Amino acid sequence: MSTKEQKERTKLLQGTLDLLILRTLVLGPAHGHAIAKAIEFKSDDVLQVEQGSLYPALHRLIKRRWISVEGGTSENNRKAKFYRLTALGRKQLVLETSKWDTLARAIRRILRPTEEGPS
Amino acid sequence: MRRRERMLQDLDQEIRDHIEMATQDNIASGMSPHEARHAAVRKFGNATLVKEDAREVWSFVWLEQLLQDIRLGLRMLRKSPGFAAVAILTLALGIGANTAIFSVINGVLLSPLPYKNPKQLVVIKENDSPPNVMDIQRQVRAFSQGGGINVEPMDYTGGTEPVQVRVGRINAGFLETLGVQPMLGRIISPGEDVPGGPRLVMVSNHFWQNYLDSDPHAVGNTIRLGGNSYSVIGVMPASFAPPAENADVFVSLWVGDPGAAGDRDVHFMHTYWRLNAGVTLAQAQTEMAAIDRRLAEQYPAEEKERKRQLVPLHEWLIGDVRSALLVLFGAVGLVLLIACANFASLLMMRALAERQALVIRTALGAGRGRLIRKTLTESALLSVLGGAAGLLLAQWGTRMLLGLRPEALARLSGIHMDTRVLLFVLVVSVLTGILFGMAPVWIAARADVAGSLKESGRSATASTMGHSLRKILVISELAVALVLLVGAGLLIKGFSRLRSLNPGFNSANVMTMYLQLSTTRYPEIPKQNRFRRELLTRLNFLPGVQAAMVTDIPLGGNYVGHRFVIDGRPPVAVGSEPEVQTLSVMGDYFHLMQIPLRAGRDFTPLDREGQPLVAIVNEEMVREFFPYEKPIGLRIRWAGETEPPQWMIVIGVVGDVKHSGLNQPTDPAVYTPFSQSDEAWRRFMTLAIRTRDASPGLVEEVKRQIWSLDSQIPVGDVHTMDELMAVSLAQQRFNMLLLGLFAALALILAAVGIYGAMAYAVNQRTHEIGIRTALGAQRRDVLRLIMRDGTKIALFGIASGIAGALALTRLMASLLFEVKPTDPATFAGVAILLALVTLAACYIPARRAMRVDPMVALRYE
Repeated sequence: MSTKEQKERTKLLQGTLDLLILRTLVLGPAHGHAIAKAIEFKSDDVLQVEQGSLYPALHRLIKRRWISVEGGTSENNRKAKFYRLTALGRKQLVLETSKWDTLARAIRRILRPTEEGPS
Repeated sequence: MRRRERMLQDLDQEIRDHIEMATQDNIASGMSPHEARHAAVRKFGNATLVKEDAREVWSFVWLEQLLQDIRLGLRMLRKSPGFAAVAILTLALGIGANTAIFSVINGVLLSPLPYKNPKQLVVIKENDSPPNVMDIQRQVRAFSQGGGINVEPMDYTGGTEPVQVRVGRINAGFLETLGVQPMLGRIISPGEDVPGGPRLVMVSNHFWQNYLDSDPHAVGNTIRLGGNSYSVIGVMPASFAPPAENADVFVSLWVGDPGAAGDRDVHFMHTYWRLNAGVTLAQAQTEMAAIDRRLAEQYPAEEKERKRQLVPLHEWLIGDVRSALLVLFGAVGLVLLIACANFASLLMMRALAERQALVIRTALGAGRGRLIRKTLTESALLSVLGGAAGLLLAQWGTRMLLGLRPEALARLSGIHMDTRVLLFVLVVSVLTGILFGMAPVWIAARADVAGSLKESGRSATASTMGHSLRKILVISELAVALVLLVGAGLLIKGFSRLRSLNPGFNSANVMTMYLQLSTTRYPEIPKQNRFRRELLTRLNFLPGVQAAMVTDIPLGGNYVGHRFVIDGRPPVAVGSEPEVQTLSVMGDYFHLMQIPLRAGRDFTPLDREGQPLVAIVNEEMVREFFPYEKPIGLRIRWAGETEPPQWMIVIGVVGDVKHSGLNQPTDPAVYTPFSQSDEAWRRFMTLAIRTRDASPGLVEEVKRQIWSLDSQIPVGDVHTMDELMAVSLAQQRFNMLLLGLFAALALILAAVGIYGAMAYAVNQRTHEIGIRTALGAQRRDVLRLIMRDGTKIALFGIASGIAGALALTRLMASLLFEVKPTDPATFAGVAILLALVTLAACYIPARRAMRVDPMVALRYE
């Protein structure tokens, strides 16, 4: 049983998941299931998240005041909690996105040095 | 934290909804419902883990920070063990003393009585006679049950030597009223509590263990009490004791003393009653008043002027102790206040000393809230440690209180540390930590980053921050200490008045012993007197021994009152004649006790059966009844006696004796010779024996003499007169010692407080003093500089303390004996004492200030 490995993977996912949630909510408030579906759909089902891990992430974001929560009614007329991006969250999204871009570029530069063109 | 609760509360529902929606999606894409649900659950992952993770999001940081603060706090305490020790000890003293007193209050005032539904129990304040008890049992509807008890010593002759046991003579109904269930066997039924009923006895657990060898088959055994055989029918549980006076065995009054049981005029039973559910005390009292009237009409001779007053049992039992305990609790609360003030000023001094660190933390971006939390954690840590140490002190202190206990605190046996006491300690220590831990927070909150960094600890005069607050703290400490000292001073003065009071007799080298003649073997008075005379003759033959007898010894706790009539006065209505204390004596009693003869003559051996009846009265009797005539030669008789009247001639007047207690007024008293008195209660007698020197073998020698006359006579209550004096003073002594202890504690704490404040001030002003000295100030000037501050604080403290004491000592008026709560001598003495202590506490730091070497001081920092 490789708890350590799993932990590291979760950790990696955590930061990314936060970013993806924030990005999804730019389009408007959504409930938990919708957020999970949107992430899978938009990544062409490449990103298979354990959907449950979404909730601790949502709590974390609420605690940091990057998103807020409100009551509402889902498509099939159920009461559900809707998560909404806050102004603080919007700023954080910009920050995180640019951080992610920098990181992704750096990693690509290392992994595929030949593709590095004079851009 | 409300967000956290809201979020976690709805999480379950949210997860269920999520899975439900995913299932619906799966069904829509063509799965069977079962498959769809399964897939959705699998995709969701471990729901419990999800919930735990979500919870952890909320709790982790908070807990982490608390642990961090506690670790930091502990490290800080280890780094400055002196500070920590003083702070913890200060609080431990305050909290410990409070806890000790609180556990007494908890045991005595707050815990319910150990009876069934104790709130329904009431007592009739006055003793009552058995026929009245039965009338009330039958007639009063407000009571569901009721009954009385009277405890008399009787001899138990089943063991190795005859002993006196306390026999509770009860009505059927007494035990039921208290709701006690026997541990073995049964209790008597009303049908057995009748004249000529069977001789049955219920024994206490104590008696069962000591005299019946804890025999589980004791029921059915026979024991001999007062010359009669009684059959044991029940054993009481160990937890049971009658409310006021304890008893070893219980018998029916009708069976144990049929003569007294039918007498409406002898009021000797303590009665206890249980109110019916829903009946108030006032309703019962109204009904009682109606009974009083009815009985007075029916039996004018006996029942006139009786006013039965109902009191809740709990109130009746603790009445005397209550005010003393509340005063002590108030006093110990004040001690805690002083301890807290010291604690706060310690914390403040520390906060000031660490201001640089605080400022740097703020400058580095520590949030104000976080800093406050850190400071509060430190104070709470100290106060909880102080509370724990206090608990240890309290445990020891409670044991000490138990050692000191006066008889009046009879319920002290129920005193122990229970959860209520522990809760009290916890609340007190946490509150102390948080409330008084705010002082340094106040300083932290005012920390001006830029200014303080510039100041950087280098200033010629002491910073004023917190200075005035600290002065106020010290002033209030002094004021509170003064209040306590005045309280203690008043008690000490009252106590010494009481001690030096002339009790009317000389207690030195007098030993007393209680004897009782059995009614079966000494039925007639002449036979009893033959025994007494013979015994006194034998005892007086012993070398260095002088012996006499009296019915009830002073301070022994008993006396008999009788109504009487004076010859030649206008007749008084039957039942409303004046009452006096009556005592019978034999032998040279007055001479032995050194009770002075003021007029007339003493009894002689010739004043005996068949001779003219004689009486000696005390001075109080003369003051009250014969203020304008010569008492010698007057004739008096007991009220209610049959014709022809038995007149007694007053032949002498003796000095007053404090019979019922040193702080009690003297009652008018009539002494008669044993040999001329034939009331039933004259069977009781107390030997008074004066010896030249207290020889340890004396008690055994006297017992041997008694038993050589009659081996069946039990001897009990062997005390020296000095012991009885001490018992009589015990409650006052208890109050005085405790309040004195608290006052001493307060004085020490206040002295430490002012010393600390002055020492700190001198330390802060070292630089300034250095400059002054360098500029030519003399040592005397430096001394004056520092002492002036101290004197000002002392004066303020003493002045406000006197104001406070004037307002508060009124509350303890009931505890004082012949001292006014505003006794000027005590106030002055205490003020001077406090001023001296304060000045001494200032002088030590002031002397250090005088020694300041300007070179060192200026280079310093």
